[in-house]
Amino acid sequence: MESVFTHYAWLIPLLPLIAFLILISGGRQMKESGAYIGILLTLGAFILSILVLSERLNGNAVDYSWNNFEWIKIGDFSFSMGFEVTNLNALMLVIVTFVSLLVNIYSKAYMHDDERISVFFSYVALFTFSMLGLVISENLIELYIFWELVGVCSFLLVGFWYFKPEAKAAAKKAFIVTRIGDVGLFLAILVLFWHMPGHYMDFNSIHNAIQENQLSDGILTLVALLIFVGAMGKSGQFPLHTWLPDAMEGPTPISALIHAATMVAAGVYLVARTFVIFLESPVALDVVAYVGGFTAIFAATIAITQTDLKRVLAYSTVSQLGYMMMALGLGTWGSYSAGIFHLFTHAFFKALLFLAAGSVIHAIMKQNIHEMGGLASKMKVTAWTFAIGALALSGIAPLSGFWSKDAILTEAYASNPLLFYVGLITAFFTAFYMARLFFLVFMGKPRSAYSAHESPSAMTVPLIILAVLAVVAGFIFMPTMPWLGEWLTGEELHEHTNWTVIVLSNLVGLLGILLGWAMYLKQSVPSDLLSKRLPWIYQLSYRKYYIDELYQYIIIRPLRALGDGLQLFDHYVVDGSVRLTSHTVVQLGKFGARLQNGQLQNYGLITLLGFIVIAAIIMGRRFL
Amino acid sequence: MFNLITSYLILGAILFSIGLYGALSKKNAVIILLSIELMLNAVNLNLIAFSKLGVNPSLTGQIFSLFNITVAAAEAAVGIAILIALYRNRGTSEVTDMDLMKH
Amino acid sequence: MLNNMLAFLSSGENISFMLFSILIIGGAVYMISFTRVIHMVISLAFTFVSLAGLYVLLEAEFVAFVQILIYAGAISILMIFGIMMTKHGSEEEIQPARLLHNILLLAGSLGFFGIIAYAISKAEFPQAGTFNAGEDNTRAVGELLYTQHVIPFELVSVLLTVAFIGAIILAKKEEE
Repeated sequence: MESVFTHYAWLIPLLPLIAFLILISGGRQMKESGAYIGILLTLGAFILSILVLSERLNGNAVDYSWNNFEWIKIGDFSFSMGFEVTNLNALMLVIVTFVSLLVNIYSKAYMHDDERISVFFSYVALFTFSMLGLVISENLIELYIFWELVGVCSFLLVGFWYFKPEAKAAAKKAFIVTRIGDVGLFLAILVLFWHMPGHYMDFNSIHNAIQENQLSDGILTLVALLIFVGAMGKSGQFPLHTWLPDAMEGPTPISALIHAATMVAAGVYLVARTFVIFLESPVALDVVAYVGGFTAIFAATIAITQTDLKRVLAYSTVSQLGYMMMALGLGTWGSYSAGIFHLFTHAFFKALLFLAAGSVIHAIMKQNIHEMGGLASKMKVTAWTFAIGALALSGIAPLSGFWSKDAILTEAYASNPLLFYVGLITAFFTAFYMARLFFLVFMGKPRSAYSAHESPSAMTVPLIILAVLAVVAGFIFMPTMPWLGEWLTGEELHEHTNWTVIVLSNLVGLLGILLGWAMYLKQSVPSDLLSKRLPWIYQLSYRKYYIDELYQYIIIRPLRALGDGLQLFDHYVVDGSVRLTSHTVVQLGKFGARLQNGQLQNYGLITLLGFIVIAAIIMGRRFL
Repeated sequence: MFNLITSYLILGAILFSIGLYGALSKKNAVIILLSIELMLNAVNLNLIAFSKLGVNPSLTGQIFSLFNITVAAAEAAVGIAILIALYRNRGTSEVTDMDLMKH
Repeated sequence: MLNNMLAFLSSGENISFMLFSILIIGGAVYMISFTRVIHMVISLAFTFVSLAGLYVLLEAEFVAFVQILIYAGAISILMIFGIMMTKHGSEEEIQPARLLHNILLLAGSLGFFGIIAYAISKAEFPQAGTFNAGEDNTRAVGELLYTQHVIPFELVSVLLTVAFIGAIILAKKEEE
C-alpha cells in the first residue's frame, strides 16, 4: 500500500494552527462558535492521524522523512526543517490528537460560562499545534522550538485564570522550573551540534553517527544526561517535579490534556526519540532508571496524604511518569516498548481521571476530597468512568493499566530486582491512594452541603469513550502477543510471560484497594492510623517532603537576596553612573545657558577680551 | 618719539579706551550712548589728524569725519528713540534689565 | 626725556595741544567717574568742545564748527532730553556689585589701549607731502562734497531722513 497520507502528515499540526489563527483573529466575540472551530479542526487532525497510523500498521512501512525546507544557510552549511513519520510518532500523533479532541469537546461544556472561552480554545489549539509539531519534528532544533512552544502554552493555560493569585504563581512556577530543564536540553543540543559530523541535527543522522561510532562515549553520556535534564523538567521528574502539582490551578481540561496525557509525556517521548543515544551510555540509562524509579515511589507516597482531588491525580501523574522513565532506563528494546506502551495507556486513563475529576469539580465547585462523599448516586456516569480509570491506574487485570504496568514490571524483574520492588511498592501505593480517592469522593455520605448533578453529555461522552479505551487499550500489547513492541522498535522481542509478576502486581493492587476500602469506607481500620502513630511521617508526606520549602530556602531565598543585591547595585551604581552622566551634561548645559544671560555688556566684555587675546597672539608671533 | 601725529593717535586711543570702558561698565543706557559717541569722536580725531599729518595729507579725512558725525547724529537720535520706547514699555532704562533675549 | 618734553612744549601749537588734550581726557575721565547723569553729560560736552579746539589746530575749521554744533549742541541736548524722559526714582548711577566684571573690564580696556599704543609707537609716519587746507577751509570742503563725494553725500541725506522718520515712529506714543 502506498503511503499516501504519510506524505501529508505535515497537515496534522497545521490544522490546529489554522484554528488558533482563526480564533486569535476572531477575538473574544466568537464565544461558543470558537469552540466549534477548535473541535472541528482538531477532529480533522485526528482523522488524518488515524489514517497515517493505519498506513503505518500495514506491514513494514519505512520511516518517511522530508526535510527540504531550507531554514538557514550559512556558507556551505545549510540547515533544513521538515517532518518525519515513524511508528513511534504516528502513535503519538493519534494519542495527542485524540485526547485533544476529547478535551476540546469536554471543554465546550466545562468552560461554558467563561467570558474568554474563545481565548481558551485558541490556546488549546496552539498547544495542540505545538505538541504535534514536537512529535513530528525531524531534527532536534525543530523539536526544541516546539518544546518551548508547548512550555509557553502550558504557561498560558495554567495561568488562564490569571486573576487568581495562585494561578499566576503556579504559571510562573511551571514556566521557570521547566525552563531549568529546557536549559539542559538546549545544552545537549549545543554539545551535539558541536560534535556531530557535518553538524547534522536530524534524528537519522544522529542514529547513523552513533552506529558508525563517530561520537565518543563521554560526549554521548554528557548529551544523554543533558537531554534527560530536559525530560526531567517537562515530565516532572524529581527534583524538578514541583511545578506539576501546582499547575493544577489551571482549568481541569487543561490538566487532563497538558499535565496528564500529552505535554508531560513529551519528556518521555524525548528520551524515547533519542533512545539510541541513551543505549550507548549505561551511566545515563542508570540515571534515567533510578531517577524514574525514585520519582515513582516518591510521588506515590505524597499522593497518599494529599487532600486536593486534582493534586492527588497530579502526584499520581508524576509517579506514573517516573514509571515510564524507569522503564526506558532499563535499557532494552523490550523495556522501551513497555515504557511507550505505558505512556499510551496512561494517556487514556489519566485523561479520563482528570476529566472525571473535572466533572465532579464542575458539579460541586469543591476540590477538597474530605468535603465530598456519596457522589456516586448522583453522578452515575462520572462515578463509573472514574472507577474504571482508577482500576486501570491501579493495574487490575484486565484493564489497560495492568498490561502496561505488567510489561514494565516484567522487564524490571528480568534486569533489575531493586527497581522491580520499587515498582511493586509504588503499584501498591497507587492502588491505595486511588481507592482512597474513589471511596472518599463517591462513596459514603456527603461530608458537606452541596447539590450534585450529572454533567452535560458533552462532558460525559468523552468520559465514556475514554473509559472504553482505558479498558481495551491494553489488549494490543499483551505478554502473549508482543507485536506492538516489535512494531515500535523493529526488533525481535523475546516474549516473557512471567506469571509471578502478573500475580504479584495484581495482588498488590487488590491489597491496596482493600486497604483503602477498609480505611475509608468500612472504617474498620482507622484512617488516622498513620497520622496518630507516626505523625512525622504523615507530616512529611503531607507537606510533600518539604521540597518546596527546601527550594524556598536553598534556591529562591539566596537568589532573591542576590537579586536584591544586584538591584541595589543596578540602582546605585549603574543607574547612579547614568544619572551622574546625564546630570553632568545637564549642568554643563545650564552653565552654558548661564553664559547666555542676555547681559549685553557681558557679551561686549567677552568680545573685548577675545579681541585682546587674538591681538596678543598675533603680536606675540612677531617675537617668535 | 614725540612725533605730533603719534601724540594725536595716542590721544585718540585714550579716548577710545575710556569710551569702551564706559560703554561696558555703565548701567544707564543714555550714558552708554554717550560713551559710544566718545568712541566715535576718537575716530574722528584720528581721521582729522591723518588728514593733516598723514602720509598723503588731503581734505578727504575731513570729509570722512563729516560723514562720521552725520551717522553718529543719526545713531544718537535713533538710540534715544529706542530708549524712550523701551522705557515706556519696560519701565527701565538700565541695560542690565534688558535681558529678554537670554537663553 | 625731560628735554624732549621741554622741546615739545616750546612750540605754541604743542602747548595748545597739551591744554586741549588735558581738557579732553579730563572731561572723559570725569564722565566716567561722576555719579550723576547730568554731570556726566556736561563733562562730556567739555570734551566735545575741546576736541573742536584740536580740530582747529589741525586746520579743520569747518569740522570744528560742525563738532560744536552737533556734539556740544545737538547731541548733548538730545542726551539730556533722553535722561529727563527716562528719569526714574533716583538720578544716581548706583553701581551694583559687578566686581569681577569691572575688574575684567578695566584690564581689558587697559590691555586694548596697550595694544593700540604699542602699534602706534611701532608705526612710522613719513611726511610725504604738505597739507593744503585751502584758503577758505569751508569752501574747500563744500566743493569737495559737491564734486568728488556727491554720491555718499546724497546717501547720507537719505540715511538721515530714514533715521529721523524712524526715530519719530519709535518715540511716538503707541496708539491704543
